[in-house]
Amino acid sequence: MTRIILGIAVAACAALGAPPLLAGPEATADQAPASIAKPWTLPRTADGKPDLQGSWTNATLTPLERAENTPLSLPKDEVERREQAFRERVSRLAEDSDPDRPAPPKGGDGSTGAAGNVGGYNNFWIDPGDRIAVVNGEYRSSLLTVPASGRVPATTPEARQRAAQRLAARKGMGQYDHPELRPLAERCLMSFGSNAGPPMLPNYFYNNNYQFVQTPDALMILVEMVHDVRVVRIGENLHHSPAHIRSWMGDSIGRWEGDTLVVETTNFHPLQNFRGASEHLKVIERFTRTGPETILYKFEIDDPTTFVEKWGGEVPFNRTEDLIYEYACHEGNYALANVLSGERNREKREADKKKSQQN
Amino acid sequence: MTRTNLLMLFAGALITAATVPVGGHHAFGAEFDPDAPIRLQGKVVKLEWVNPHAWIHIEVDKPDGAKEVWMVEGGTPNTLLRRGLTRDTLKHGTELVVDGYQTKDHSLKRANGRDVTFTDGRKMFMGSSGTGAPRDGRDPTEKPVKPPGV
Repeated sequence: MTRIILGIAVAACAALGAPPLLAGPEATADQAPASIAKPWTLPRTADGKPDLQGSWTNATLTPLERAENTPLSLPKDEVERREQAFRERVSRLAEDSDPDRPAPPKGGDGSTGAAGNVGGYNNFWIDPGDRIAVVNGEYRSSLLTVPASGRVPATTPEARQRAAQRLAARKGMGQYDHPELRPLAERCLMSFGSNAGPPMLPNYFYNNNYQFVQTPDALMILVEMVHDVRVVRIGENLHHSPAHIRSWMGDSIGRWEGDTLVVETTNFHPLQNFRGASEHLKVIERFTRTGPETILYKFEIDDPTTFVEKWGGEVPFNRTEDLIYEYACHEGNYALANVLSGERNREKREADKKKSQQN
Repeated sequence: MTRTNLLMLFAGALITAATVPVGGHHAFGAEFDPDAPIRLQGKVVKLEWVNPHAWIHIEVDKPDGAKEVWMVEGGTPNTLLRRGLTRDTLKHGTELVVDGYQTKDHSLKRANGRDVTFTDGRKMFMGSSGTGAPRDGRDPTEKPVKPPGV
């Protein structure tokens, strides 16, 4: 039994007032007998609030969006099929290669995606999560739960016009012409994807780890990628910063609704435009401890100037005993310089070729 | 150009980036040249165990007998550290075979490590924690592996 299922089982037993199946997530069949098991109780900080602290991971096999005509809840056999397929893929990619293999094909190796057709690196560097997400005892086919389709809603005409204006504004400039034209992740400023968010979503790649530290008036969220820190102010009657003050992860204020921490974030930096969102983006997050090993993290995206309707989802954050390491991105970021000097070198090669043709 | 226009300009660049699926922390397609494939074989002389990406330096023999050092780009070391692997796992002098593509800047001896293996074809590191799946802390039989010195 995996930790996550065990956690849910224990939590369910606690909710029903029934004795749990096992003593706790660390217990195994040959350890504590069920008769001395204690039900899980919500851990609390000194001021009586639910304790959200610890190291958590949101790595999962469940994608953000759902395939069309797929139900939100997956049957067990489908979960096993998907998890087994993942394990087989890992094994396949770990197989030996031909030591006499030649260089890859000229013109690219045919791979697709953001890495381009030059491939990436071996699978052993990757750690995307190997389990289907479980929420309320249900295996999930997508992290998105709203709208019911499990798909990100269409953008508004206003958002499309805004995007077109942005593209028009950069006319005449190449994407390699200035370091600030490169993506935030490449510049080591923010995590790639929406790891730091908010919303905090898995990147399906690696380092999907977080550390939470909590005081009565703040929750600190350290995001491993790329060592981003967000401080959520907690309290009643808090107000957001003035509209002109904008930070990478926005301005987050939280309040307790029962045992759930509700966090509202606005004032995002213009370059941190989540899926094309505007300056009016508002993200609502809800953090609820649902078991010894789990926080249920819910998020809602509210930006009527960008999306035709509100949307959101549910992501389990599972406790991890693994160490989280500093991600000192600037320390070895050869890539940004390589990208820019690559273009300058290409321009020089072209100029030299032209020159030799003229002579 | 005003600051607002500049911000809009840069935001426009990001729109394009935001619409493609995540395939890596850095855009390898922007960094490496698909028209410059390479195969390298040589001994490890240095390992930069750094973020965002590790770099393996190997010394290779040129056809004229001279030697040159190539840098090969890998992924984040954090993931391997959590599996108990450190930069000391890969000893200096270990001979590796690498295939990949050279940087678009041809004046640099740098490439991505599409496939990095020992000379018998085994992968340089194995991504296994028993089941063959990467660790995510949810298997109670998996205990954290702390690297030496931590």
